[in-house]
Amino acid sequence: MGKQAAPEVQAGAEGTAATGNVSPQAPALRLVSSPKRQKILEGMLEVVGTNGYDAASVRMVLDLTGLYRQAFYDEFADKDACYLEAFDFGVTRLEAVARAAAAAEESWQGQLRAGLAAVLAVLDAEPEVGRALIVEVHAAGQEALQRRSQAMKRITDFIDSARHASNGAGSPPPIAAEGIVAGMHAVLHARLATGEEGGFRKLLPEFMYFAVLPYFGAGMASAEMQAAKA
Amino acid sequence: MPRAYLVRSQRERLLEAMLRVAAAKGYEATTVTDVIEVAGVSREAFEEMFGDKPTCFLEAYDAVFDVLVAHVTAAFESAASEPWPERIAAGLDALVGLLATEADIARLSMVEVTAAGDDARARYRAALARFTPFLEEGREYSNQGEELPADTARFAIGGATSMIFDEIRAGRGPELQRILPDLVFAVLMPYLGPEEAESEMRRVTRGT
Repeated sequence: MGKQAAPEVQAGAEGTAATGNVSPQAPALRLVSSPKRQKILEGMLEVVGTNGYDAASVRMVLDLTGLYRQAFYDEFADKDACYLEAFDFGVTRLEAVARAAAAAEESWQGQLRAGLAAVLAVLDAEPEVGRALIVEVHAAGQEALQRRSQAMKRITDFIDSARHASNGAGSPPPIAAEGIVAGMHAVLHARLATGEEGGFRKLLPEFMYFAVLPYFGAGMASAEMQAAKA
Repeated sequence: MPRAYLVRSQRERLLEAMLRVAAAKGYEATTVTDVIEVAGVSREAFEEMFGDKPTCFLEAYDAVFDVLVAHVTAAFESAASEPWPERIAAGLDALVGLLATEADIARLSMVEVTAAGDDARARYRAALARFTPFLEEGREYSNQGEELPADTARFAIGGATSMIFDEIRAGRGPELQRILPDLVFAVLMPYLGPEEAESEMRRVTRGT
């Protein structure tokens, strides 16, 4: 069955690989080749985020989307293949949201603040998508974990662009950015996994503090934290 | 032999067998039959003590962290006269040393557990939170103490855990000691800022 005949273009595939500088004119957001395909991917994220990866089934996705069984299998071989693409789709969407929010900002701090705020707002509005991407990816096998690592690497590269971004930026050891991304990820993961929801947006000040600290020092980190509280 | 001793030792044998088998063949593939055979304990005794596989696994899991926390605590305490960053480095050194020695169990308890369902994941988070008190002493040591965000410990532990996770997943668990300097930096940086964290990282790299 036409497993992957269609060129499943993910806008982010090339767009998001470029890191370090946020393009002011993000490409028009055409994430998926067909509306039906997109509907299935969104349904998959919601089902996985709501029920957990192991319990999620193609049947649930069909029930949620109102599509026929054949419609699913025309597009995807099975649940695993669908989730992998849904993961890419979800991550690409978050990256696009961050990019769009950051587009008007000039400084690294401004881009980071705007991008993070936009992503946290999505998590507040759609925590099940956050769970599907951040928590349940761990239950979805090696390939999924690989893609998760790649996504974290892209964020890490953006964070580390602070090195070149501004005058007076410090040069912490190379591991600094990885630690920041991993730390933020851990805080989000713990909240999503325990259903400690609502108020992701409130994490922005502390995320700014931790991200700014290694590059610009405690004074600037505190100032960014205060600014993000406003 | 007193019966209480016998029961405890059977329980311990079962817990250890559960870990060894699950570490070797994965949690999903592990059966109660495997576990009782390795432990040399009867099925009746298993059922009396644990009832089912998940219960036994979760208890074994807690036991792993009891050992890890005790080991880290001992290292942290034995450096009691040193400044806090050195004590953290000592604790991390003990942690990676033990994880590297028991690489199979490390993989099971740090990596596979995140795929093993909600109960196991809750246990994992609770286990990691047991390291919080060591870190929170950093609030007093740091001159940013008042300013530090509420999630600082979670952030620091998460950063270190994620690096350990990546190493083990990449098959480098037995050489975990190699990332000790990075772990030291990642844990200290949120509390102390980059300069102090880096200077402790350098001290650890020099091995002094």
